[in-house]
Amino acid sequence: MSSIWYYMERDMIKWLRGRVAVISLLIMPAAWLIFVGLALPVTFTGNYLDFITPGILVMTMLASSMAGGTLLIFDKILGFLNKFLALPSPRESILFGKILFITIRGVIQSTIILVVATLIGATILSLAQYGMIYLILVLFGLVISGIATTVALYVEDHDSYAAFNTLITMPLFFTSSALMPYSVMPPWLRAIASVNPLSFAIDAIRSVESGMVPFIQVGILAILCVVVLAVCMQVFRKMTV
Amino acid sequence: MNAIETHDLTRYYHSLCAVDHLSLSINNEIFGLLGPNGSGKTTTVLMLTTLLHPTEGTASVCGYDIAREGEKVRRQLSYVPQEMAVDIKMTGRENVLFFAHLYGIPRAKDKTDEVLAVMELTDRADDLIRTYSGGMLRRLELAQALVHDPAVLFLDEPTIGLDVAARKKIWEHIGALRKSGMTIFVTTHYMDEADLYCDRVGIISKGKVVALGQPSALKSELMTDIITAKVSGPVSIPTREGIFLVGQAADEITFTAENGREALPYLAQALSANGAIVHSLSLREPTLDDVFLHAVGNQDEPRNFDDHQFRTMLRRRK
Ligand SMILES: Nc1ncnc2c1ncn2[C@@H]1O[C@H](COP(=O)(O)OP(=O)(O)O)[C@@H](O)[C@H]1O
Ligand SMILES: [Mg+2]
Repeated sequence: MSSIWYYMERDMIKWLRGRVAVISLLIMPAAWLIFVGLALPVTFTGNYLDFITPGILVMTMLASSMAGGTLLIFDKILGFLNKFLALPSPRESILFGKILFITIRGVIQSTIILVVATLIGATILSLAQYGMIYLILVLFGLVISGIATTVALYVEDHDSYAAFNTLITMPLFFTSSALMPYSVMPPWLRAIASVNPLSFAIDAIRSVESGMVPFIQVGILAILCVVVLAVCMQVFRKMTV
Repeated sequence: MNAIETHDLTRYYHSLCAVDHLSLSINNEIFGLLGPNGSGKTTTVLMLTTLLHPTEGTASVCGYDIAREGEKVRRQLSYVPQEMAVDIKMTGRENVLFFAHLYGIPRAKDKTDEVLAVMELTDRADDLIRTYSGGMLRRLELAQALVHDPAVLFLDEPTIGLDVAARKKIWEHIGALRKSGMTIFVTTHYMDEADLYCDRVGIISKGKVVALGQPSALKSELMTDIITAKVSGPVSIPTREGIFLVGQAADEITFTAENGREALPYLAQALSANGAIVHSLSLREPTLDDVFLHAVGNQDEPRNFDDHQFRTMLRRRK
């Protein structure tokens, strides 16, 4: 199982050495937060920054996890995957190494967002609350990166994957509860937003912020996470015989 | 027990038969699988390294079945694919250490230093490999493959795209590994390299083995020498038992002869007796290229050696 760690380490080293990629990945969500959180003239809530932060956090986790699929595509196209598959270490560890790296990277980004949000005026929460927010984000990240890497296994080239990514990420974000509460949505949007998986994670984080402990949502996310990872592992085994 | 054993190993891609009932026994040698592009070399290697399922037939590596005992097979082998896959954002040492970790080598750092030294990369080990030459990258891949002391090493076109000196070096390293007891399965479409460095070769065409044996044996089985005469003036072609005309282009005439040394003086005398001026005569032994062309002729025409076809082939190469 230690091979999961080494696969993660490889991606981490490569990511940290691509300075432009690191900076853009760290700055983008912070920029979102500042422009959306501070610039929009919003009246439906007291502290819009507190309202928008969960949305940006989940959105960032989504984008980062989806982009993670690209890593596997390149490993496949460039011949790394075949090299790794010919090693005696368990083959699934390639998959879990990717998922682990993607999730860690997402957590790093989330931390930056939380820090920036606090600096520009978001309410400071208790340690337990931050803990729960991270738990929700990690579970959500695992689910999305599991799906993303599995889709990447099937996709032949990078362009198709980029198209798939755009097709999923943007619509999911704009039809979620990230930007506005259900009460101010037009009915059609409310209907979509309430079944949007992004809203599910966002609403869970908002419950945490408002002082509740969302056992049911976290439980559902955890079960979903286990199911998705189990399915991904099976698919990976089948794809790589 | 042989290191590699295949029995009717076959692979179809849809209706295309890429590898066609391949049966080989390989042990303690440098075995070269030779063939032009698209003849099924890579497909064979992918099956033997458990990266691709055979459609039909079986194969084993160190006694373990490639279809049923994949993990055990992978413990015995190392595989260097045709396309180079090394991380250019990492140093040479990091690239090798990564593989040492993945193989679960106990003293990974020491072992990494050791293989880097064997591959003559110690001086540059801490440079990012984007600064490496093609030959160095190939040696780095060999170092990655060697960290776990495999019993069998699979190399898919290890010298493709390298300059002459770099190729020679790679082959010298392969030779040294062979001396240390490793079985090496190497593919190439450079017949001359295989001739020089492989203990045994299998020539493959359209997925089928058409010739198998030691390069020297295969060449002598052809039992012909190739003679080229440069002439001018009126030329009439001499005929004699055992000498065949292969082709005539401008002032150059090519023959094959069962016994070249005896044919030379005869040809010189016969050509000039007919009024031609003979400027030069050269004799060369057949190469693996000739073996290949001969064998491919046999494949299309399953009867025995067909001179006509062989001649057409030789002419086409000109
Ligand atoms: N994934 C694939 N799908 C379909 N055809 C393939 C695939 N891989 C190889 N082939 C075909 O199989 C034949 C053998 O290919 P390959 O084993 O790569 O040959 P070589 O390595 O000797 O150049 C070729 O005709 C090639 O086009
Ligand atoms: Mg090939």
